[in-house]
Amino acid sequence: MSTETPPPAPGSAKPATSPQIGADEWVQRSGERTTGPGGLFGYASRTAGRTPAFVLLLVFVGVACAIPLLTSNGYVIGVDADTMLYVLLAMGLNVAVGWAGLLDLGYIAFYGFAAYLYAELSSGHYDIHWPTWQSVPLVIAATILLGFVLGSPSLRLSGDYLAIVTLFFLEIFNNFTTNGYAWNWLGLGATHDITGGPTGITNVDPFRIFGRVLDNRPTDYVWVAAAGFTVIAVLFHYVNRSRTGRAWRALRDDPLAAEMMGMPVKWLMLLAFAVGAGVAGFAGAMNGAYYQGVFPDTFTFPLLITIYAMVVLGGVGSLGGVVLGAVVINVLLEVLRTPDHARWIFYAALLIGVLVKVRPWRLLAAVLGGLVVFGVVVNQIVGETWARGVAGPIAVGPTSFTKNGFFATLIRHWQVLPGNTYEANDYRIGNYAFVVAIVLVLACTVVKGWKRWTLLVPTIWVAAFAWENVLIEQAPTTRPLFLGVVLIVLMAARPAGLFGQNRVEIV
Amino acid sequence: MSENGSDRKPLLELRELSISFGGLKVIDRLDLHVNEHEIVSVIGPNGAGKTTVFNLITGVFEPDVGDILLEGESLIGLSPHKVTQRGVARTFQTLRLFLNMTVKENVMAAQYGRTKATLLEQMLRLPRARREERRMNEVAEEKLGFFGERLMGYRWNQPAYSLSYANRRRLEIARATATQPRILLLDEPAAGMNPVETHEITELIGKLRDEGGYTILLIEHDMHVVEGISDRVVALDHGVKISEGTFDSVATDPRVVEAYLGTSAAVTK
Amino acid sequence: MSGVLAFQLYNWHFFFQQLVGGVTAGSLYALIALGYTMVYGVLKLLNFAHGDVYMVGVYIGWFVLNALGSPTDPVLPLVPLLLVAFAASMLGCGVLGVAIERFAYRPLRNAPRIAPLITAIGISFFLEQTAVLLWGANPREYNAFSLHNGELFGFVNVGNFGIEYVQLFVIVATVVLMIGLSLFVWRTRTGKAMRAISFDREAASMMGIDVDFVIAVTFLIGSALAGAAGVMTGLISPTGSLNPYMGFGAGLKAFTAAVVGGIGNIVGAVLGGLFIGIVETFTVAYFSSQFSDLILFSLLVIFMLIRSTGFRGTAVLQKV
Repeated sequence: MSTETPPPAPGSAKPATSPQIGADEWVQRSGERTTGPGGLFGYASRTAGRTPAFVLLLVFVGVACAIPLLTSNGYVIGVDADTMLYVLLAMGLNVAVGWAGLLDLGYIAFYGFAAYLYAELSSGHYDIHWPTWQSVPLVIAATILLGFVLGSPSLRLSGDYLAIVTLFFLEIFNNFTTNGYAWNWLGLGATHDITGGPTGITNVDPFRIFGRVLDNRPTDYVWVAAAGFTVIAVLFHYVNRSRTGRAWRALRDDPLAAEMMGMPVKWLMLLAFAVGAGVAGFAGAMNGAYYQGVFPDTFTFPLLITIYAMVVLGGVGSLGGVVLGAVVINVLLEVLRTPDHARWIFYAALLIGVLVKVRPWRLLAAVLGGLVVFGVVVNQIVGETWARGVAGPIAVGPTSFTKNGFFATLIRHWQVLPGNTYEANDYRIGNYAFVVAIVLVLACTVVKGWKRWTLLVPTIWVAAFAWENVLIEQAPTTRPLFLGVVLIVLMAARPAGLFGQNRVEIV
Repeated sequence: MSENGSDRKPLLELRELSISFGGLKVIDRLDLHVNEHEIVSVIGPNGAGKTTVFNLITGVFEPDVGDILLEGESLIGLSPHKVTQRGVARTFQTLRLFLNMTVKENVMAAQYGRTKATLLEQMLRLPRARREERRMNEVAEEKLGFFGERLMGYRWNQPAYSLSYANRRRLEIARATATQPRILLLDEPAAGMNPVETHEITELIGKLRDEGGYTILLIEHDMHVVEGISDRVVALDHGVKISEGTFDSVATDPRVVEAYLGTSAAVTK
Repeated sequence: MSGVLAFQLYNWHFFFQQLVGGVTAGSLYALIALGYTMVYGVLKLLNFAHGDVYMVGVYIGWFVLNALGSPTDPVLPLVPLLLVAFAASMLGCGVLGVAIERFAYRPLRNAPRIAPLITAIGISFFLEQTAVLLWGANPREYNAFSLHNGELFGFVNVGNFGIEYVQLFVIVATVVLMIGLSLFVWRTRTGKAMRAISFDREAASMMGIDVDFVIAVTFLIGSALAGAAGVMTGLISPTGSLNPYMGFGAGLKAFTAAVVGGIGNIVGAVLGGLFIGIVETFTVAYFSSQFSDLILFSLLVIFMLIRSTGFRGTAVLQKV
């Protein structure tokens, strides 16, 4: 006799938006199976789901390796190499945070430790020049060992406390590398220059493999990173499907139950840290060789958050997801450096956001139309009353501006660009507009109905105003700002990320 | 009912077991034994210390005094996963499944302690790892098959949180059996079940003993289950054993009645 | 170096000076820690953005002091000027804290634990960069020494030793605020509601407690205290020490102070703050100012590993 509650009629149920305990998911989601997420994204994700993993791997590595062959633009190849480094780091962080569910806010300390160790062994700092085939394995092994050590607090602490302690480790590491040029042991003995201080260690040797010195930067390191990535991706793919991978996932769900079911939880936690550290070890050594120098302000908290953003965006726990997340975030961050290209992102994001959120068609048309009209009207009014107000150019490069070009003309008639702001470094109007834009955005989330759509128009306009007049110019500020916004919006809209699973947690 | 030869050594033996939390003596000099292929039920009012006994056996707590022997060897001081590897598996009063893993993965995960492939072997998919993975798959399907059709077929790949309550209880038992235990500790397996489900669970426990060959130590409040399946019943109150024997003798023991219903009821009876 | 150390060990003047400095700094950590401990107690959330709310408080105070004339030529006499600065900062930070809770944390009340933490980090970044936009990344200072001819820095004499007015003010203000907060939490209905929510939020809401309102009040008070701490920090800080990233380190230490004192415990947070302030000041004075952070964080790591329930915390029993 059936003991389940009668399932809802197939197809009549709306696809569940969040997992529910006791609800037969297979039946509930039958509707979804016939009508999944539509459009391009749905097609892409279903195809990706059906493709065997090694094909995806080949495609990815193929693209990464093809770039240096297709272009001779050093900048682009550099971005390729950097992205591969980030991909490695994201995969490594994913082990502890995504698979085992251990909050590690000190991961970058492994990365930095490896880089510095490599630098110590293969540079002019102590004038030791170990060959690559000796230094890299040693660096990786040492970092794994460090992973066991720094992972040991996880045996006693959990959750937020573990996060704080690991963050302390990162801060300790930072302090040490920045001030490590005058280290003496408790005031006794001689002073040693261990880390080179704020200026770091330069003249680090590049890799030397099979007699060949890899000093064709960045191209050579794209190959190195791609090779490393292939190996690590394969190993991780298999481990995820093995008993250790299952044990990590069990430990994430319920450590006590896992222990009771025969899984050595303490060892598994240390192992998670150590494996992630191993990946960071390889990445760190590569970092040292690639940049031919190591510097303390590379391995800091903001870098950690960048990696976290990648992992979280891609989907915590999903190997393919974090790779994708790394690519997306790094590429976006790079594009944000140049105003001309960054502009595309802003308006594209705006457009996509409006397209997705504002339905039906008529409302969408009204909002967009209203937006254009609003902008032009304001532009005209300001133009009449305050000539300087519309006299400014738009930014297209770090220090270059223009009034010409298709895009520039469009914007100049739609937006208000006060002259003498960029030129005189006077961003006050833009700054205040930025704050106003934030307030308006928050207000939009609060009001409902027609008020929201009417409010949306000036909100978008003011945001674009702030963008054109301030943010687009200030890359060092806008990039972390962008990261922060990504994190906030992502957690509010889709905590599982692009490819993560919606999880059930018993709190 | 199975033979209960007193000349055979018991599979599980608790001797003079005592533990205090703070100033409160939760278990006081408890002697308990379970012979192979027996089903022993532990009953008692809430707060009698029944789950604490399970926690002591499985190594969550260490007793102040006394010994716990599995096949003659002490379990004291072993960490819980080692206790499980020795052959003790349990379920939980409040279900503790790996909710975000699939049904099959839950059962496969529990076989960790019975496999030996190292991390490197797993990463490189060397033969031993592949073999063990296949074996774990087979064992999982076998253990899940014990419960009839309920946890079979498409259910294997459903996340555990999507199962109904009764199925989740069954899954937890399946998971426990996947650790290849010598003795199963079931903590209130019939909690929250309606009479039909209760009857099923009772039959299932019997089947576990008869077909699966497991020895079972059971905590239960529902007397229908206890009566239907136990070879022997042990009653606890305030951490002390107050009665032991067949269900009928324990159920009519005045001390037990007093513990459950109060003194006047004992007198009346 | 050991010679200097030896000399300093016997110099009581120096010792007392450092002690007062440590208690002052510790009081500021305590105020920030109170915000962390209240929010964590009620929501089990590590409010990463709290340190940056404190930083905003510092800047609001700076803004007020420079809007009402300038440090060397203020429009108001000392006491009203400070009152305005404190009011503006506490109000501004309080509103900011409530807004953060309302828009960022409330939607995530039932989300997995990692979500609010990541959001908090996002907000932290956001606040830092907004501060950079509005006020520039260059270090600033209150220049409090110029205020009314350094009135704030006059000495109160205790025997042979002296305490600056401003230090005394900070210590006294912290004690007063701590007592006020304790009274609030233990004697008022809202305070009781806060404690109820910290034990079991769902049950509290079923007992008729307006959970949203009480949580908003929690954030309001915590952030206002951080704002007060911000202004006081500005008053005692030397030239060039105020920058948009100062909230991060202070926040980290203050959260540890809250843990050290027992999370959820008000007196504990204050004790923890004092502990860290004193240890930090003495480490800088007697050992090394460069590696003081390293030593301090190492000590804190050890402390957290040994005694993660803190001075006055209670261990939480888990039913298996």
